[in-house]
Amino acid sequence: MKLREALKLDSSGIAKLKDELRAKVDNSLLNAFISLDEAGDGVPIAIKDNIQVKGWSVTAGSKILQGYISPYNATVIDKLKGAGLCAFGRTNMDEFAMGSTTESSYYGKTLNPHDNSCVPGGSSGGSAAAVASGEAIAALGSDTGGSIRQPAAYCGIVGMKPTYGRVSRYGLGAYASSLDQIGPMTQDVEDAALLYDIISGYDQNDSTSADVEYESVVDKLDGNRVLNIGITPSHLENAAPQIQKAYKKAVKALKDAGHNIVECTLLDPKYDISAYYITATAEATTNLARYDGVRYGRRAESDTLEQLYINSRSEGFGDEVKRRILLGNFVLSSGYYDAYYIKAQKVRRVIKDEYAKLFEKVDLILSPVAPTTAPKFGALSDPLQMYLSDIYTIGVNLAGLPAISLPVNKDEDTLPIGLQLIAAPYDEQTLFDGALSLERALETL
Amino acid sequence: MRVDDELLSRLEKLSMLKIDESERTECIEQLDKIVSFVQNLSSLDTDGVDEVFAMNQSATALRLDEPRSSSDIADDILKNAPLSEDSFFIVPKIIE
Repeated sequence: MKLREALKLDSSGIAKLKDELRAKVDNSLLNAFISLDEAGDGVPIAIKDNIQVKGWSVTAGSKILQGYISPYNATVIDKLKGAGLCAFGRTNMDEFAMGSTTESSYYGKTLNPHDNSCVPGGSSGGSAAAVASGEAIAALGSDTGGSIRQPAAYCGIVGMKPTYGRVSRYGLGAYASSLDQIGPMTQDVEDAALLYDIISGYDQNDSTSADVEYESVVDKLDGNRVLNIGITPSHLENAAPQIQKAYKKAVKALKDAGHNIVECTLLDPKYDISAYYITATAEATTNLARYDGVRYGRRAESDTLEQLYINSRSEGFGDEVKRRILLGNFVLSSGYYDAYYIKAQKVRRVIKDEYAKLFEKVDLILSPVAPTTAPKFGALSDPLQMYLSDIYTIGVNLAGLPAISLPVNKDEDTLPIGLQLIAAPYDEQTLFDGALSLERALETL
Repeated sequence: MRVDDELLSRLEKLSMLKIDESERTECIEQLDKIVSFVQNLSSLDTDGVDEVFAMNQSATALRLDEPRSSSDIADDILKNAPLSEDSFFIVPKIIE
């Protein structure tokens, strides 16, 4: 059942839907859900484990937050409630959203519904697997460097990252505050637009929330608009052949739908990776300083306060989180700050300006989401290799742009392949219009 | 720039973390690989580029200086904290 159909159900229809979902989750081996908590009446939406729901044990997939109970609702949860929806189940994720596979969760791995030997992607892997398997009709995820779009692509669903500032981060467990955005993960483009409209808008509780007039998108969705769509052939060199094939297929579909295709170039994405991992780890190290075993979550008993901090953090954080905290302290520490952190901020501006220039001549950019289809479990155990797999998604976060990942093709092993469209800041209308057009054009191809 | 045991010790101190003895060598190797990779930024010319980056160029929004608080949230946090009493978190003795 699509989200837009569920929104038409009466209360007994919703109750029946929830029963069906409970039964599916109970019988599932995917481990998409950490637990099937419920919060009130309404159309059920699965929630990533880093979004606060009052009374839920929200743990960001981490051991260090065991025992924490959220004392308030994130703004997006209140917005869901206000629109007749409700939080339904906590979905699995990489610890503190730091990862591309959901393997680093304290709760064990989540399986890709299309091939159980493959990862569902990450960090919002639980949300993606839940929607792809029909265990949820729609979900919320968060995207700091691709964490909505990449699992959506690996699981064959639609995942959308809004413009930075569009959706309130109030109540989102912070990883990298200048990059994080909450967004919808759904079965198709129209559902994504619907859920995006519900969670968006200015919020005085988030100082980075964009105080701009909000216009709804879904009622104006227009798949017939003719758009200028940028393609970046030089970027494709890093992608596997089946991804390149899917890219060609999408370009053909867009051409057939009447869009103008414009060839573009972007900065070598290896610089995106560096600017991203310096910025994100610097912010993460600052945000995660609050986890000290004193105020919330899990404490490791110790004789001195300093040992309590060190033991709580060393026992409570997993390897990838520790690595990013160490790296963040490296790039921020005296002697290295200018060469790493400041340099990364300058490069970030260069990347943002480059996109701004591109959007003077195109409405949207078509890009791969990941260089391969979903890898096998363990294939990305080398941290740097995992970071490199983010090559196509992190530029969008560095520049604060909206982007949407949608299924385009399948490889020979029938793993889904997703591609993304990227738009100028605050131009979500064009983003959804283009995505709807591509979705329809692919159906008739 | 190479990551070595001395630098790792410094970062552990800054991070309030202790890396297990059995994992130090691997940890140093991985950090070193990542730090070496991100040095590719030095090949980009960024002379004259503003070093302050903010997603939104306008100033931080201001509001009237009126206190807003929800005592329920404070009560719930204290109730669920690892160790608390009245309005306090309890930690090991810090003054002899």
